[in-house]
Amino acid sequence: MNLKIVIKKVQFANPIVAASGTFGFGLEFRQVANRLGGVVTKAVTLNPRAGNPPPRIAEVCGGVVNSVGLENPGLQRFKAEILPELSKLKSQLIVNISGAHSADFCKLAEGLTEQSIAGLEINLSCPNVGAGGVTLGQNPKIVEKITAAVRKTTEKLLIVKLTANFVDPAETARAAEAGGADAVTVINTLFGLVLDENGQPFLGGRTGGVSGPAIKPFALYCVDRVASAVSIPVIGCGGIINGRDAFEFICAGAKLVQVGTAHLIEPDRSLKILAELKNICRRRKINSLEDIRGQTRRIK
Amino acid sequence: MQAEIISRAQLTPDVISVWVKPKGIFVKPEPGQFYGIKIPEHNDLLLRRPISVADVHQHQLRFIFRIIGRGTEILARSEPGDWWDILGPLGKPAPIFRNRNILLCAGGVGAAPLYYLCRHLPRNNRVKVVIGARRSDQLILVHEFRKLVNAVLIATEDGSCGQQGKVTDVIARILPSLSEPVIYACGPRLMLVKLRQIASNIPVWGFLEERMGCGTGICYCCGIEDIYGNYLRVCKDGPVVLLNTVKL
Repeated sequence: MNLKIVIKKVQFANPIVAASGTFGFGLEFRQVANRLGGVVTKAVTLNPRAGNPPPRIAEVCGGVVNSVGLENPGLQRFKAEILPELSKLKSQLIVNISGAHSADFCKLAEGLTEQSIAGLEINLSCPNVGAGGVTLGQNPKIVEKITAAVRKTTEKLLIVKLTANFVDPAETARAAEAGGADAVTVINTLFGLVLDENGQPFLGGRTGGVSGPAIKPFALYCVDRVASAVSIPVIGCGGIINGRDAFEFICAGAKLVQVGTAHLIEPDRSLKILAELKNICRRRKINSLEDIRGQTRRIK
Repeated sequence: MQAEIISRAQLTPDVISVWVKPKGIFVKPEPGQFYGIKIPEHNDLLLRRPISVADVHQHQLRFIFRIIGRGTEILARSEPGDWWDILGPLGKPAPIFRNRNILLCAGGVGAAPLYYLCRHLPRNNRVKVVIGARRSDQLILVHEFRKLVNAVLIATEDGSCGQQGKVTDVIARILPSLSEPVIYACGPRLMLVKLRQIASNIPVWGFLEERMGCGTGICYCCGIEDIYGNYLRVCKDGPVVLLNTVKL
């Protein structure tokens, strides 16, 4: 069975990738990271960010709502302290970058040229920051502009992580494609509000982003929709916690799948997802994922 | 890792004690460490509940927790023979001192991790334990502590047992008589705040609680701000921290 995936000359040993934000910087569980197709780091910004005040997470039925707020040490410390260790990973390294303006993303891309970095994922979809994040990703023109600007500064695999909050991700995916993106990640967390027993916002950042199995049907819908709207690969993300979920996202058109919230429950969950996906393929006599990819849209 | 429930007891109206026996190779936890416990058979409750180790005996772990919501309510209903999915030991162990005057300051269910710590403290320390609760029926582990330590002081807010008042009132009273003490404290946030005020020149190691996502340091959800404006992860950089290094 061949599970290898190639996107723009970057070879992923398998289609399972750790999503940004729920796998630290990829160093905490290296044995897991080494056996995945790839790892997307927590978002890196130009300057250090302390993140949002606590509480930063709430549990809801079948999911969680987080408001971490892109806590990270900034580009320089990331390069000095984290990247040298990350370079030893055996899987493909993708650095998630976030900023408020096009220029921020370009500076980040210019600063992240190391050979060990296989690709960059532009974060246009974080719901937990004041400037940047989701406000950029809701506007197709801005998505295209930023993608095009970053495209000029890097030859690396360029992924745009999209939002589905009050915008059609098919439209913003087309914009990312027009801007020169090599792939899009669909979707980031959905807007959420959690109240405490007094009817006041529970999270320190007031609102947050919903993730986990609760959003899976919507994420799957978005992948199916985006996959038929663009010709670049779609990376599926949203509530994948078992092999069956991964299988479904691939059937809906995903080339890779990202595992996020599941890592909070079990840090090695993605390896189990991979094993379960292999089992499904074996049982269903699927030799190549190409045979099932996008089959939701094929006429029988 | 799977762990079989060996016994379960109700210590107070809302505090439960559970002994479990993990399957496979036993990794002995250090004082201050905790486990992430999955809520059995409830797929809508995703996150593990972080619960500190109250004791270890012959490859069995004791967890003592307060019922504060649906998750802990379900855990509290577990019976001997049931299985838990536990992840751990997690977190940084508490530092262990030698030949010092040590004060253990426990508020409510906060007595649990301090008991395991107390069992680990080298014998050349001079240890005093202060346990507080609102009412006497909310005190836990008093007899167990008395087997380890001679000086166990009690404070209840309604005066139903020991001194009437808060645990911090007792600490404030006995603190001046101790030379170069070290304090370990676990209890409500307000207790830790008060303790830091009355013991401003003394190292106070606080066992912190925060809403956690992963418990393993990868989600950055359990941040607590330090005095430099950075966030520490309670699960990875803690849960035991020097109280004067963080904003409470």
